Amino acid sequence: MAPASQPAVFTTQSPYPLPPQTFMIPTTWSRYQLSQLVNKALSLAKPVPFDFLLRGDLLKTSLADWCTQNAVGEEETLEIEYIESVLPPQKMSDLPHDDWVSSVSCQLEQRFLTASYDGHLRAFDYSQNQVWSTAIHGAPITSFCIVPSTSADSHLIATACHDLTAQLTEINLESTQKTKALATLHLHTAPLSAVSSNSSGSQILTASWDGLVGLWDTLVPDNDEVPEPAAGDRKKRRKIEGNRPKRKAPLMVLKSHTARVSGAVFNDEKTAYSCGFDSTVRAWDLEHGVCSHTITSSERPFLALSLAPSSAPSTLLASSTDRTISQYDFRDPHPLASVTLTHPATPSCIVGSPSHPHQILSGAYDGVARIWDLRSVKGATPVASFKAWDGEKKVLGVDWRIGGIVGVAGEGGLGVWKVGETAS
Amino acid sequence: MAALDVKPKSKKRKEASRDEEPAPEAPAFSAPVESLEMLSDEEGPDESASDDGQVDEFPEIDAASDSEEDGSFGDEEDEEDSDGTDEEDFEEEDSDDSMDRDIFPKPKTIISDITGHPKRVYPEIEPDYDSDSSTEDTQNRVGNVPMHWYDDLPHVGTSAFDKTAQMDKPLSAEELDIIRRLYANEVPDAGYDPYEPMTEWFTGKGKEEIMPLSAAPEPKRRWVPSKWEKQKVMKIVRAIRQGRILPSKPKTASKLEFYSIWSEPSTSHAPPLPAPKPRLPTNSESYNPPEEYLPSEAERAEWEAMDPEDRERDYLPQKFPSLRLVPAYDRFIKERFNRQLDLYLAPRIQRVKLNIDPSTLIPKLPSPQSLKPFPNYKSLKFTHSGRARCLSISPDGAWVISGDESGIVSLWEVNVGREVKRWKFEGKIGALEWCPRLDVSYFVVGIEEALHFIIPPNLPSPVLALTQSLLAPTTLPPAPETPSPVKWVTPPTSSWSPDTAILTVHLPQSSGLPKQITWHRRGDYMATVSSGGTQGGVWMHQITRRHSQAPFKKIRGAVQLVLFHPLKPHFFVATQQYVRVYNLAEQKLLKTLTPGIKWISSMDVHPSGDHLIVGGYDRKLCWFDLELSDKPYKILRYDFPAFKYPSLPLNAKLLLPSYHTRAIRSLAFHPTYPLFASSSDDGAIQVFHSRVYNDLMTDPLIVPLKILRGHTVKEGLGVLQVKWCARQPWLVSGGADGTVGVWCS
Repeated sequence: MAPASQPAVFTTQSPYPLPPQTFMIPTTWSRYQLSQLVNKALSLAKPVPFDFLLRGDLLKTSLADWCTQNAVGEEETLEIEYIESVLPPQKMSDLPHDDWVSSVSCQLEQRFLTASYDGHLRAFDYSQNQVWSTAIHGAPITSFCIVPSTSADSHLIATACHDLTAQLTEINLESTQKTKALATLHLHTAPLSAVSSNSSGSQILTASWDGLVGLWDTLVPDNDEVPEPAAGDRKKRRKIEGNRPKRKAPLMVLKSHTARVSGAVFNDEKTAYSCGFDSTVRAWDLEHGVCSHTITSSERPFLALSLAPSSAPSTLLASSTDRTISQYDFRDPHPLASVTLTHPATPSCIVGSPSHPHQILSGAYDGVARIWDLRSVKGATPVASFKAWDGEKKVLGVDWRIGGIVGVAGEGGLGVWKVGETAS
Repeated sequence: MAALDVKPKSKKRKEASRDEEPAPEAPAFSAPVESLEMLSDEEGPDESASDDGQVDEFPEIDAASDSEEDGSFGDEEDEEDSDGTDEEDFEEEDSDDSMDRDIFPKPKTIISDITGHPKRVYPEIEPDYDSDSSTEDTQNRVGNVPMHWYDDLPHVGTSAFDKTAQMDKPLSAEELDIIRRLYANEVPDAGYDPYEPMTEWFTGKGKEEIMPLSAAPEPKRRWVPSKWEKQKVMKIVRAIRQGRILPSKPKTASKLEFYSIWSEPSTSHAPPLPAPKPRLPTNSESYNPPEEYLPSEAERAEWEAMDPEDRERDYLPQKFPSLRLVPAYDRFIKERFNRQLDLYLAPRIQRVKLNIDPSTLIPKLPSPQSLKPFPNYKSLKFTHSGRARCLSISPDGAWVISGDESGIVSLWEVNVGREVKRWKFEGKIGALEWCPRLDVSYFVVGIEEALHFIIPPNLPSPVLALTQSLLAPTTLPPAPETPSPVKWVTPPTSSWSPDTAILTVHLPQSSGLPKQITWHRRGDYMATVSSGGTQGGVWMHQITRRHSQAPFKKIRGAVQLVLFHPLKPHFFVATQQYVRVYNLAEQKLLKTLTPGIKWISSMDVHPSGDHLIVGGYDRKLCWFDLELSDKPYKILRYDFPAFKYPSLPLNAKLLLPSYHTRAIRSLAFHPTYPLFASSSDDGAIQVFHSRVYNDLMTDPLIVPLKILRGHTVKEGLGVLQVKWCARQPWLVSGGADGTVGVWCS
């Protein structure tokens, strides 16, 4: 028989603080009653739903059940942290594609940009219309990024492709004709897995299966920096010499990984991170082009990585094939995974919330996108989850725009969801 | 003093009259006055000088005479001896005394005239008034004097009632002595000495018997130790050793010692089973049950309609107003009989059920958790329209090609599972294999009577150029002297396209579908096994020389599989029941392995080359240590647990792990990790840890790690092929259900 009530202290990092005071909470209460209690205590005009974290564990059952599961005595004072709950995500639109979509970006105003395995880059507006489509590559595009630029009507896109090159393309969403391949980036001898640019748009990073990470600038050279292979059909090439994209060489080759590099991101202008199938996450000093820090975990080939949301600088989230997403803090000299989020299937992509300091979104091969709260360190239950498509269709890319717009790309095309973020 | 004086005078008389001595004494005890008188009579001159106070002396004389008596033994003899001589005066005195003192007349002993023997003659009793002295006078006449006069005188004696005389008779000193001796448990006769020295009549010096009494030979028992005695002694000795007899047992043990009856250890015998108790009567069996126990009419009718066997109770509760009115029990005999039957059929002994903990039967192996990584979940799957019969993984571990029975070969990424390219061929795909070379990149697809060499797309240009020059050299190597039935055909350069083969090897007619393609580790030689054709269908192809040859002119049995040794120039050939190992350099048979499998289905060699696993359609897997023996080191086989452990409960049987329940289809060693996997028609893949030690003394460690289920069995076929990713502990499996699964750690 569980005790009738339990002493509890409420803490929060949300803008709804309660006075430090011990409450006697009936143990039959669950999330809903606790949320009502907080709302009552704060006498909020508009009710705000809250979720409750007990020792880093999201409260899903009643307090009594949680206490018995975690062997908490009736005398102990519980420290309950409350966070604003995430409303159940709502599907806004479904944008089917001819082929699998490997990557999505919602960063452009009123547009979704997708890269597909058929080599096409497509743009959709918010009313589910495909407004623009062009074939950039003849091989599957694995990843793309929008390089921030100052020009208003045209955007610079960097794409990573199976054809061993990355490409810088200038696109204009108004007309297909104005798409111009500016430069092809030649370094890798194996398909590329990821591309990303820094916040100023001056540099991009490419990661490839051959274990190399390339650092490039975004300036388009006037001449080929890499000589063309001495192919026999020189004549044919000559014909298209005029508007052929320039062959660009990397600024720097970051060489330390021993196996496929699956992701590379900039931290700031000077540092970058990468992860790979050699079970390492590496930090790079981009000024000198050396690996400044290596986190080795045992037998966890990493599939994707992302910077943690704004709450934690220089921390990194990496998903691995052992169905976990781990958080690593590079400020720690011997970092261990501080948070491990366990998935039922292989997590393939991660994105941090643009507005919320603790939330991340992950997509997995079981077709489910999950929103996690990094304060819930036990990490067994996501804050919210939604299945993007019916059936076993893999999620391959996710993106999250301020305002709660989430794009989920994968086997079933692109799904757009509205994630109920509380206005904060 | 007086006594000393007297003695020499009357010694003889005293000695002689030892018998009579009590006479003067007895009055001294019983009648002091009389004795005083007698003293005055007889020893008056001696005693007259002594005053009355000296009467004490009298017992002293007695004592002296006693001591003298003790000193001289044979009084009686002396008396007898001296009887004749002193008879006269003795008699005189005797007569004097007897006449005066004795109540009864003393007899006179005279020699009878008639017989010549001594006879006793009593004096005539004169029948006058005084003749009867029995009533004559009082025994102790003290006279009419105050009794305190005798205070300082000794007590004169003790009397006893004499039945013959019908009077109290004073006891003599001898009689008192006898009484005292009887009280003291001594011999009553004062003259008897129990400690007199032994008279040696037959023993002693000079009286030994020199000759034995019997001339019979001495019996054997005299010198043979007694067997029974020895047994008896040994029994005691044993008892002492075992502590059953305590040689110095404390004698304090009293009979009333308390002990705890429960403290003694229980016997080895099981306690007798108590007879089953009859059920106790309940409320409903009462003669006056509460109302709620009484059946309603409907219940009563239902009960009566029911078969007696089906009834829940064999009676109906009844109510009687008083115990008086309860009738005789009609079911008494029946119930007694049933009780007897119960007792008769009750178990006499308690059977202990064998209760084995199933976990103890499982051999002690390291925990699978400690042997990570190994594939444990299905990361993704790729779907074919037909049976995915064959698959191969590129040597860099990034790409998978899988072929199905409808002739489609798909190239897809291991990680994402997106098909990147597809080729279509006529007929089934028999086998696929990627060339193990890393500097070139191509794979071989075996279809009916042909092998197609295909270059995957998106290759870096140096690799592509090298591959093209290898497979379609501008200058063909010289044709071999002996024409081969195998034709190597390269289409002209203009018709090259990524969708067609760059090189096709046409196997001879009616050779059938290539079942297996296997590469030598250097990537120059390739062996194929076809289902039909001569020479066992085995062909050896050399890529650089564009030449094919049949290594065996004739071979016994149908070849199932071939394999190149990873390090040595050895070649494994598996026929239906045997695995033969050939040395290709010396062209001779090295050894024949006998797995004991009825039909070999699959085989793989450990990357070290020292171990071989062979699987069969009869659900057996044999591990061969090639250095060790031609017989399997270890056999994994399907054991139905019910046969192995018949006494186990069923749930425990189901928990026990077992090997594949259907035919084994494919086996694969991981090239770098200590893992191997086997797939079977039961739809499961079993992953094993297989650590091989460099030390020859240590046996390989084989630990079952995981049973991967996820493929469905279709038309009796399960998982047809398993392959490992080169650099990761990931497994790719092709099933008859058309799916190719990637299993990640």
